[in-house]
Amino acid sequence: MSKLTILAGFVLVGLMSTSAMADGHGNHVYGPFPVTLKGYSGDKTNSVSYSGQVGRQLLHNSLKKAIGKNAGLDTINSYFNGSDEELPILDPVSSEKFMVDHSNVNDISKTNLSGKAYKGDISGWPGGMSGKEVLASMIARSSEVDGGYDATHGYDYAQLVSKFAMGGIFYHQACDNYLDEKLEANNKPNNKPYKDGAYYTGKEHSWDEAFGYWGAAAHGATLSPEQNYNIAKKKDMVSADANSDGVVNLKSEMNYAHAYYASAFDKGGKTKYYKTITQAFIDGRQVIADAKGEALSDAERNTIMGKARVICSNWEKVIAEAVFKYAGSVYGDLEKLKGGGDAKAYRKYVKHWGELKGFALSLHTSHQNLGELGRKIDGLIKFGPVVGGVSPSQISMNTRRVDGVDEAGNFTFQDASVDEYMLYMLRLQKLMEDEFGVVAKNNDKLAGISNLAEKLGSGESVEND
Amino acid sequence: MPEIIELIFSDLSAQFLSPRKRLFVGYLACAFCIAVLWVCVVNRTSLKTAIAMIFAPAIWLSRSSLFDVICFLINRLLFSLLRPVLLTQITVATLVYQLLHLQVLMPIGALEHVNYWIAAATFTVFYFIFDDFSRFGVHYLMHRVPALWEFHKFHHSAETLTPLTVTRTHPIEGLMFLIRTAAVQGLTIALFVGLFGSKVDLITIYGVSIFGLIFHSLGSNLRHSHIAIRYPAALEQIFISPAQHQLHHSRDPRHYDRNFGVVLSIWDQLLGSFHPSTDEEISYGLGPAEAGFTKSVWSMYWLPFVASFRRLTRFRPRPPKGFERLR
Repeated sequence: MSKLTILAGFVLVGLMSTSAMADGHGNHVYGPFPVTLKGYSGDKTNSVSYSGQVGRQLLHNSLKKAIGKNAGLDTINSYFNGSDEELPILDPVSSEKFMVDHSNVNDISKTNLSGKAYKGDISGWPGGMSGKEVLASMIARSSEVDGGYDATHGYDYAQLVSKFAMGGIFYHQACDNYLDEKLEANNKPNNKPYKDGAYYTGKEHSWDEAFGYWGAAAHGATLSPEQNYNIAKKKDMVSADANSDGVVNLKSEMNYAHAYYASAFDKGGKTKYYKTITQAFIDGRQVIADAKGEALSDAERNTIMGKARVICSNWEKVIAEAVFKYAGSVYGDLEKLKGGGDAKAYRKYVKHWGELKGFALSLHTSHQNLGELGRKIDGLIKFGPVVGGVSPSQISMNTRRVDGVDEAGNFTFQDASVDEYMLYMLRLQKLMEDEFGVVAKNNDKLAGISNLAEKLGSGESVEND
Repeated sequence: MPEIIELIFSDLSAQFLSPRKRLFVGYLACAFCIAVLWVCVVNRTSLKTAIAMIFAPAIWLSRSSLFDVICFLINRLLFSLLRPVLLTQITVATLVYQLLHLQVLMPIGALEHVNYWIAAATFTVFYFIFDDFSRFGVHYLMHRVPALWEFHKFHHSAETLTPLTVTRTHPIEGLMFLIRTAAVQGLTIALFVGLFGSKVDLITIYGVSIFGLIFHSLGSNLRHSHIAIRYPAALEQIFISPAQHQLHHSRDPRHYDRNFGVVLSIWDQLLGSFHPSTDEEISYGLGPAEAGFTKSVWSMYWLPFVASFRRLTRFRPRPPKGFERLR
């Protein structure tokens, strides 16, 4: 073999591996990525940084717990607005089976949720408020009822706040800000620090912040959906502890929020939301790192914008899958309650409705206005679930639902039909399938129809008997 | 272009390789065995003679049979392309199932606690009967409504019958069959899922409805053939024999508008169109007055539109010839 052939072979292998890295095929872990900022002379070697977002993930987890355990309005608000005092992490808490490396939110990042909440109007909640006001209002009302559970109006505030915060803060910030306007050429450019004194560039940190809001473990793309799901459920310490130091690093080894829900849907085997989104984040970050601190070219920016589209369209689908799933749950709960359910069944129904509503409101908070589709979604779910006659404690009452608030801020009611609402849940599932293309379709209430249609055949027969 | 070819090829192969299709090779083999047995036993012929009779070139290589093949290919191409926009049973079922939530006579899930097998058996039997009745009904209308008969003539223009004649259908008629299928399946599915919940099932063997499998395995393909298999008179009162359907294709006016049924003959008895099979020699087709209809494949596809339009608009410059079937 001539020297020339050997040299050509090396060049070819080198080119192929460079290309693979550029495509991201060679890397399935989010970081470390080198410091590329021109002129940086400090000792940092890893430019990845999203501790503020991890702090918010922990505030969100803790906020939900605080509402559920009657922590009091001041404490609950401290998780929403942030606090200079110590803020114990209420979830995840270290246990023998699942050791975590922090117990105080402020040790990771002194931050808040309220400052990042969606400021646009949310028409799907009574009162005509912005997303931030809706969350504040829900939190205030949650402290007036035991454990955030309002049986009279059918509201489970722990679920409502949690599910809407995930969308109205995390999804909104990532897809309406960091992966949207901050990808513009002149906004947070890559040849300048993100802010004065930072060791990462504008684009590097914008991308990292979006990844932090997504909530996936840095090594999550190397794991199976079951492993990622069990990490979020604090059941799989071994899979979580990527660096084998004996504790779960809450900054990089934990799954949160929508990333957790993505793994839950992926477990069914029909979807790959978690890997698709997380890998797109990794690939996009690699493109930015490969620019080596120079301003991104149009081609590079187009590439990461393409990745951003993959991320946000799949992220939206994860939320739509959740709406689909909980619409099915609410339908099933009402079926049971119609047959004479008990207080436990009613509690479950209110919980499921809270999850449904929180996820559905989240769909309104991305960079695109849902328009007519948004009105359809709100019109089917309404301001509240059907209560009254379906609740064992209010069985003598007519069935009704919240339809607004009066001047004093009290919820008002209108008559409502259980059967009609069940129909709305079916239509909502159909809407999620038709408009968002959901695939996992957990709790599909029309599955019986699809299964039978499949068995009977497609009806394409044009035979003349 | 290759995608279209692939689509057509997969559609064509499914017609013969899927047990859900009437022309499945397994059903054709069953029909052949039954035909051999019938000819050998009833006509007391040798196996060789029976096979020669079954595969008579005068039948299989006739002009009419050639047209069957051409029409089969044209229709498969047409419906392969139309498939994405056709009404499906899922659409109908979803709509009806949703509407069921707005009525109070039949509470959703009222029979949800019924045993699985009872639910599945009820669904399977109900669907079989409803489907058979609806086929009868549509067929009845195709003969009795003049504008529809113009399209159904396409099928009755066959002068020799082979299993492929079952697909000799005008596209307009084909669309009507598709709508019928979607409506019947959709209504049945919605009704039963509404009553029994998601557990309701179709009883199948090898993925095929048990009744469909029995019907096709017992020689449904012989309905369009020259092998006149007759059932005992009592049995023909319940099930339509191949010979009874062949009589339906007769060009003899005495046999017009008889035996519209597919599996059950009870519908014909109820509507007065029942006719037992006979041992007469039967000629098929539309008759000499309609010779122009099968002048070409084009005329078969085009003339029904013209004649049907005239029927609907009563624009009849002169008395049409060859409509003697109409009552």
